[in-house]
Amino acid sequence: MKRLITLLAATFLLALTVPAFAHFQMLYTPEMNKMGKLEFKLVFTHPAESGHVMKMDKPQEFFVINKEKKTDLLETIKPIKWTSATNSDEGFETTFSARGGDYMFVLVPTPYFEKSEESYIQQITKVITNGDAVPTDWDKPAGLKTEWVPLDRPYALYPGMTFRAVLLSDGKPVPDAEVEIEYMNYTPDMKKNAFAKKGNIEAPSDHFITMVHKTDANGVLTFTPPFAGWWGICALGAGPDKQFQDKELSQDAVIWIQATSPKK
Amino acid sequence: MKHIRLYLFATLFTLALGVSQAMAHTALCNCFDNGDGTVTCEGGFSDGSSAAGVAVTVVDAGGAELMKGAMDANSQYTFKKPDGKFTVKFTAGEGHEVAVQSDKIVQ
Repeated sequence: MKRLITLLAATFLLALTVPAFAHFQMLYTPEMNKMGKLEFKLVFTHPAESGHVMKMDKPQEFFVINKEKKTDLLETIKPIKWTSATNSDEGFETTFSARGGDYMFVLVPTPYFEKSEESYIQQITKVITNGDAVPTDWDKPAGLKTEWVPLDRPYALYPGMTFRAVLLSDGKPVPDAEVEIEYMNYTPDMKKNAFAKKGNIEAPSDHFITMVHKTDANGVLTFTPPFAGWWGICALGAGPDKQFQDKELSQDAVIWIQATSPKK
Repeated sequence: MKHIRLYLFATLFTLALGVSQAMAHTALCNCFDNGDGTVTCEGGFSDGSSAAGVAVTVVDAGGAELMKGAMDANSQYTFKKPDGKFTVKFTAGEGHEVAVQSDKIVQ
C-alpha cells in the first residue's frame, strides 16, 4: 500500500513537471514569398509539439493591408476541423489572391477561455507575405492594441540572419517584455487539415521547444532563426487590455517569420 | 604622393559606393491576369521606391511592338491581353530592365 502511495505521488509529481508548451495562434500559409493564390489556416494550437487544438470562435477582426489599403477578410473564412497528435477542434481557412508588394495579414481572435487557468488568452497575430520583393508595408504599425513592428523583413531571412522587431502596446514600445519563441516542428498538411505525423527535428531538451527571450530597453527583440522553417514569436500579456468578461486576460502579440535556405 | 594616394582612395571609394548602390536597387516587375481579358503589370524597386512614369512596352513573339505606355501613379499598367505569346518590357533605364513573358503571368 505504501508503495502504491509513493508510486501515485511520483506519478502526480511527474504530471506536474511536464512542461507547459506555448499556445500559438497559427495564421499559416506554406510560402511567404508567393503571389497568386495563397491558402491560409487559422488554428489556435501548440505547433511546436503537435499539441492540443483549442476551439476558435469567429475572430473579432481579420484583415490585410497592402500598399496602405486595408481589406476586410472576416467574411471570407470558413470553418474547418484541425487535427493534432492529441485532438481535433475548430479553426478556419481562407484563400486570398496576392499581387505585388507586402501583404500584412492581421488576425484579432475572440479571447479563448483557458479553463485550467480561469482566464482568457487573445493572441493578436501578424503574418507578412511578399511575392515580388517590392517592400511596401512591412515596417509600418497596423495600429493594433499590441503588435510586433519588424525592423528586418520577416519573409526574407536566410537561416542565421537576424530578425528584429519592436514590441508595441497602444503604440508605445514595451521594454523588458517576456517573449516565447517556438519552431513549427510539425509541418501543417494543407489538404488533410492536420499536422504532419512526424516532427522535422528532435529538440535536445525542453529548453529548445519553447525558447524564452526578453525585449531590450527599447522594446526590441533580436532573434536569429538557426535553420529554415516557420518560427512563432509571442509576447505574453503585452497588450493594454487586462480583463475580458470579468476574468483575467492575457493579450499577446504574435508574429510569424519564415527562414528560407538558399537553393543549391 | 600622399595626396595622390588619398585622391585615389577617395575615387575608388566613390566608385565602390556607386556600384553597390546600382546592385542594391533592383527593378522589379510582375504581371497578373485579371480574368476579364486584361492584364495588369506592377512595377517597383527593391528599395520600395515608386515606378510611376516608367515606360512599359508589350511586344509579340517576333519582337514587334503591340502597345506602349507608362506605369501610373500606383506603379501599375493595365492592357488588353493580346492573342498568342507576348512579352512585357519594363524599362527604367540601363541595368533596370525587366522582361515578363506571357507564360510567367500570375493567374
